[in-house]
Amino acid sequence: MNLPDRTVLDNGAVLIAQALPSNPFVAFRGSVPAGMTSEEAPGVAEFLSHLLLSGTKRMSAGKLADRLEGIGATLEFRNSEEALVFQGRCTKETTAESVRLLIECLSRPAFPPREVERVRTELLNDLRLSLDETRYRAARRLSELVFPGNHPYGREPRGSEVRIRRTSRKTILEFHDAHVGPEGLILSIAGDVDRDLVEEAVAGPLSKLPATNEPPSPIPPPPAFRARSAWIPMPHKSQVDVAVGGPAVPRRHDDFYALYLANLLFGRIGLFGRLGHNLRDEQGLAYYAYSSLEARTAGGMWSISAGVNPANLERTIRGIREEIDRLRTDPFSLEEIADGKDNQVGSLIVSLERNAEVASELHRMEYYGLGMDFLERYADLVRELPEERVRQVARAYFDPDRASMVVAGPMGRIRVPL
Amino acid sequence: MATHVESLDNGLKVILRPLPDAKALSCWVSYRIGSRNEVPGITGSTHWVEHMLFKGGGKLKKGDIDKLVSRLGGKMNAFTDTDYTTYFETIPASAMDTALMIESERMRNAAFDPKEVEAERTVVISEREGAESQPEFLVEEELWGLAFHVHPYHWTPIGYKQDLAALDRDPLYAHYLRYYAPNNAYLVLVGGFDPAVAMQHVREAFAPLKPEPAPPPMRLVEPEQRGERRSDLRRPGAADFLAAGWHIPAFAHADTPALILLAGVLGGWRGFTRFAAGDWRSRSNRLYRALVEGKLATDVSMRHELKVDPSLFLADVTLAGGASLDRVEEVLDAEIARLQKTPPSKAEIERAKGQVRAWHQFERDGVTFQGILLSSGEALASWDAWDELVGRIDRVRPEQVRDVARRYLVEEHRSVVRFHAQEVPR
Repeated sequence: MNLPDRTVLDNGAVLIAQALPSNPFVAFRGSVPAGMTSEEAPGVAEFLSHLLLSGTKRMSAGKLADRLEGIGATLEFRNSEEALVFQGRCTKETTAESVRLLIECLSRPAFPPREVERVRTELLNDLRLSLDETRYRAARRLSELVFPGNHPYGREPRGSEVRIRRTSRKTILEFHDAHVGPEGLILSIAGDVDRDLVEEAVAGPLSKLPATNEPPSPIPPPPAFRARSAWIPMPHKSQVDVAVGGPAVPRRHDDFYALYLANLLFGRIGLFGRLGHNLRDEQGLAYYAYSSLEARTAGGMWSISAGVNPANLERTIRGIREEIDRLRTDPFSLEEIADGKDNQVGSLIVSLERNAEVASELHRMEYYGLGMDFLERYADLVRELPEERVRQVARAYFDPDRASMVVAGPMGRIRVPL
Repeated sequence: MATHVESLDNGLKVILRPLPDAKALSCWVSYRIGSRNEVPGITGSTHWVEHMLFKGGGKLKKGDIDKLVSRLGGKMNAFTDTDYTTYFETIPASAMDTALMIESERMRNAAFDPKEVEAERTVVISEREGAESQPEFLVEEELWGLAFHVHPYHWTPIGYKQDLAALDRDPLYAHYLRYYAPNNAYLVLVGGFDPAVAMQHVREAFAPLKPEPAPPPMRLVEPEQRGERRSDLRRPGAADFLAAGWHIPAFAHADTPALILLAGVLGGWRGFTRFAAGDWRSRSNRLYRALVEGKLATDVSMRHELKVDPSLFLADVTLAGGASLDRVEEVLDAEIARLQKTPPSKAEIERAKGQVRAWHQFERDGVTFQGILLSSGEALASWDAWDELVGRIDRVRPEQVRDVARRYLVEEHRSVVRFHAQEVPR
């Protein structure tokens, strides 16, 4: 793969393009800094993301849907902790029209009052449905415990039922006008594209986006963490979800690559690494038991997630604790670390086999400032990681004394510590 | 796209699609065995067997499959459907032999260690319990159970919990030996390879495997439904759900292209395979306009379940808070009646066809998705079934869409499940 083309447009937007002619269509992904970190009224970023396909000043929601789907294109908007994210697919022939519609949605949304009310209904329903899921409840509460003090990395994206009911069209409009524009916008595009198409169909319309939005404000660091536990009884469910986790590092932190590898070995590689081997493979306790690492601009979080029968809850918590402790008593072997490094290097090919995956990775490279040569350097970054560093960060971050635990489901009277 | 198809002497069908620029390769081995081949008492056995085939046997010790694929940075998984079971690895193209070795060992030499079978019992039960926590699963299971009284589509591939609790190792192993043979399987390779070289490697890995007597054909046929069937579930939950299913013919039937456009017009199109669309939802369709824009629902889908045997045309609705199930049913009925009376406009049909064509391109994004397409097509009819179907869809006229709505979306052939969310206990 050649290095991607990166262009900074006059209005500040950044465009990254990668030609991959073997997959005969185009995938794109992008973001503007209009996520939860930019909102003053919790829930407004989520509201906005649901309304951007609800019509523009020129086109009703129905007409917009007909136009997009009539040319066989897809376009989605999603709120995240730091940004409003968008993605889509189209053919080479419909790229110009698709990008034009994307820019129209971003720059000229109409927020029709009827659609605002429809989205309000949708958000209320979605929130109620999420709060009825054991996995969601456990994960959400864990995020709140790891990022306390209403930090945007920790709070419920929809705010609350009260917030959803109170959010006004005016608040959404003001949030949009202040934060959606070319300043901080990134658009990556991969697939059946060439230089002419990118310049005419993408850069041209994108450069006309008026520079009106505020520069993104710095993201506050997460507040101090204190390990806690929470039990959320949901007696009508058949499964208990356990979530354990604690603070990790920002994406650009020196420990990131070592911790990424440690997390892979701990709860991801193959059928969920050491955790899956113990809880699923050996003890047969859970269909899923894995760990995750989220690393964002200003902070990060590691977590463990397992869904089990209530009768197996104590054994599961004990098993999780055993595996965390084993990082100290039985650190990763040279063979485990070598396997993990091979996995990471090999995954460069396998995880970038689709246009959509390439567009997503290009976006990540630009968003975190990793450089357009990141994929070329990645194998060396992994290979050069000292084994002892991987073991050391595993011990330092997967620390049972610095971990919170949440259990959601029909756990009865069981209350056991990690 | 150039595709090479050949069968080995032992009956294994090999489908090779070389993509010269691809650096990865996806290897899929599928078996013509799904939950439609089960009988009451052993429901879920096909899916449990699938789980057991990650636990080694033959040249592979427990954990080896994981290790071999992980070291390559590869991805792997398996799926048990009603009609077929499929296993895949996507790995760097240079490692083709690793995938072929794993799959040839998996085909005949799985260990089925009794201790491992027992450990996996709680895993599959846990998978089921996780699903049971979702009202949508309960509704879906109820609907298929209601619509099919004789045919094994009556149960879902995960099986019943009581069967999973009681099944022994020996019937599972017998199920494996009976259906996992080269003459009941096909192999798909997509990616960066030379087809002649790949074929040689496939022969080396699979030609020594002996065929088995062909499994007996599944003969159960669902009798015609003689009146609407309904079920009301009352359980704790956060929203009401409505699901309706109408009997429709098997995939191979001449009406399938018009039924696909009917699904597109009513509920939008999201591709032939289940993973391609991700979270994307169509908004340019009649039910979205009537139910979601009408604030009666927050989600609606209409889909044609493409299966080997006669199947269901399904509507699923998540109701908005305060909306009534009766009102949603009325609107659904009215939209169907409208389509039964007047064919969709030419513009509407052309939009639906355009969506099918575009999704057919999107679904070929990368070697893994192409592997899914070829494998699922072969399970239903032929590896090129989707390409052929897209051509047939292009020739459908608006009147044909109206006609299939009249023929199949009738009350006496319909089953309806209504989920009445009850207050969640605190």
